[in-house]
Amino acid sequence: MTSRLGAAVIAAALLSFVPGGAVQAQETYKIGAALGLTGYAAASDRAWRDGQMLAIEAINAKGGLLGKKIEYIGEDNRSEPQEAVVVYRKMMSNDKVNIFASGCVSAGNFAAAGAVIRSETPMVLCSILPPRPEEQKWAFSILPPPRFEMEARYGWLKANSQVRKIGIMHDPTPYAQLMKDVAVKTAQDSGFEVVAVETYKPDDVDMSVQIGRINAAGGGAIIKMGQGGSTVTVAKNIKQLGLDTMILMASLDDGVPLKAAGEVLGERFMFVAPPVQIPSSIPDGAFRKAADTFLTAWREKYGDRDPNAGARGWDSITVIATAVELAKSYNGPAVRDALEKLPPIQGAFAKFNFTATQHVGITENPYVVGVLRDGRFQVK
Amino acid sequence: MISRVSTSTDRPWRALLPVAVVLGVMAFGLTSSGYVVTVIGFAAIYGIFCTGLNFFMGYTGQASFGQNAFAALGGYGTAILCGNHYWDPLAAFLVSMVFAGLVAYLVGLPTLKLRGHYLAMATFALGLITYEISIEWNGLTQGYMGISGIPPLGVWKFELANEKQMLVALTLLMLLGVWISVRLRDSRFGRALRAIAGSEPAARALGIDVARYKLAAFVIAALYASAAGSLFAHFVGFISPEVFGAAMVIQSFTMLFLGGIGTTWGPIVGAIMVLMLPEFLRGLKELQDVVYSMALIALLIFAPKGLAGLGSLFARRPKAPVPTPSGAPARAIAK
Repeated sequence: MTSRLGAAVIAAALLSFVPGGAVQAQETYKIGAALGLTGYAAASDRAWRDGQMLAIEAINAKGGLLGKKIEYIGEDNRSEPQEAVVVYRKMMSNDKVNIFASGCVSAGNFAAAGAVIRSETPMVLCSILPPRPEEQKWAFSILPPPRFEMEARYGWLKANSQVRKIGIMHDPTPYAQLMKDVAVKTAQDSGFEVVAVETYKPDDVDMSVQIGRINAAGGGAIIKMGQGGSTVTVAKNIKQLGLDTMILMASLDDGVPLKAAGEVLGERFMFVAPPVQIPSSIPDGAFRKAADTFLTAWREKYGDRDPNAGARGWDSITVIATAVELAKSYNGPAVRDALEKLPPIQGAFAKFNFTATQHVGITENPYVVGVLRDGRFQVK
Repeated sequence: MISRVSTSTDRPWRALLPVAVVLGVMAFGLTSSGYVVTVIGFAAIYGIFCTGLNFFMGYTGQASFGQNAFAALGGYGTAILCGNHYWDPLAAFLVSMVFAGLVAYLVGLPTLKLRGHYLAMATFALGLITYEISIEWNGLTQGYMGISGIPPLGVWKFELANEKQMLVALTLLMLLGVWISVRLRDSRFGRALRAIAGSEPAARALGIDVARYKLAAFVIAALYASAAGSLFAHFVGFISPEVFGAAMVIQSFTMLFLGGIGTTWGPIVGAIMVLMLPEFLRGLKELQDVVYSMALIALLIFAPKGLAGLGSLFARRPKAPVPTPSGAPARAIAK
């Protein structure tokens, strides 16, 4: 009897499954985002989403875009390419989004790019651009080029330390790989010798071996590429190994791991920071005004939460809104064309200069080198 | 009078239920949006993968946690041959399968001497090694950057132009896979595999070359996995190491046990359920995973033999014997 009842329940449940997402008349301007809300990209993509939603609230409060309110559709891709393909297709065919403003999972954005360009939907991405030129035509990146991070770190080291031999540690993510290539290529011209290039996995719990090799090869500083808790692990391993003069320079990251690493190594730990992460470093003027507008809304809702990825999310919506207004249209190809013709936009994270040949919008290095001092991030 | 016990032979609709469900879902996909086509397309690909895994785990009763390795060989083989060397998709598909089968043969020769947990750990290691190679061998696989620009499935100059054509092709290939599975299961070879699953010493005593049959089942499973990997590459147009990671192993096991391990249609039904259920629950947002897990547990409790055996739950059970005054069960008394 129990089995039969169970079978009947299962059968009823199966029969009741009808895919959702009935198409409604498009009364809003729909921005879709494939986000790594769970998985390795969760920290940055949740903040990216929250920054985007703040910007949309602000635009909607002023009446929306060309008379339509913006509707935000964020879907979790679990930081995996297969899931990203599914959610992109859902947003294209069921939700009928007008444009994508997706998160930092590069592989997910790459996997879906082919289908997205076939539907002539522009993408403004937190990640690097997809590899193929036909995909790049429809994609625009809010992420700074990897070379800017290296220029900031090499510049500080050269001007402020005697260290000329360095070791590189990187994880296998696309952005870290790109940065590693830039670091190796530009080291000599910047006056440095790379004595070791070491890899690690983001979930490695000990990196003493890699650090030991860099130290044995004479490296005086570790240039680390990769985000998350691995930075704290490296800082702890440096301390455990008793390397009292070793400098650790980390990537652009959320404030939580940066603070934890700074508490371990003190001012021997430095990181690449956008000005919005250290607001005191922003000069008066247009940049200050843009950053303050964002930071006021951000702090009101999220208090002391790190604003780095949130600012990029906010800026992605600002860029899209400006393009729609310039195009005077919601049409995908028209907005894509407008994105290439945008005037320079001062965002909360950086200044954006998109052109027909420049789909990575940040063309001026926004970074400063930060440090944890008296419990707060400050410019080193 | 002897009470009558109904069997699936009596009610052919019960045996045909999973077939009808599978074909119904595929037909539904052809009339639906790109989103549904994508989900059902993935279900077809995983259905092929699990049908192969069913040979080794279901029919032969062995454990393999490393079939993702062969899917990776198929996927990367196709991606590299078609994407970088502009091979015809069919040729790349077949060459990748042959290569995966060869690797399975070479790996299986020493590995399949192990049994139980040891075999499980060895195959798991095989999956991990392949995963690490796909990450670290940048020059060949492009690591986490992945390989994009893989063309859709096609033969010579004919290319499947859209997702629905692709779904038709995937469905036909899946049905071909099931047909081969049925033919082999009902053959002398299939009976030998089932004998091994029952008891290896007994099978050996009957004259079955256990090692040879186990190796054959392992190679067949690898061929199916390679085909699934290749089809994934053509269907999405992009692959990266995460696609063939540990999540693939866990997902395929869920499909196999949920659908019905050792049954013909169970792997397909399981793949459809595991991939479609989360989409029906997507509206629940943060609660999606919780409800999905609860649904899986409920399904495994109420349908412990898998969804493919769901029809048998509706079968009329023999009534409990009514004690007679003498104490003998009533149904044992025949007229």
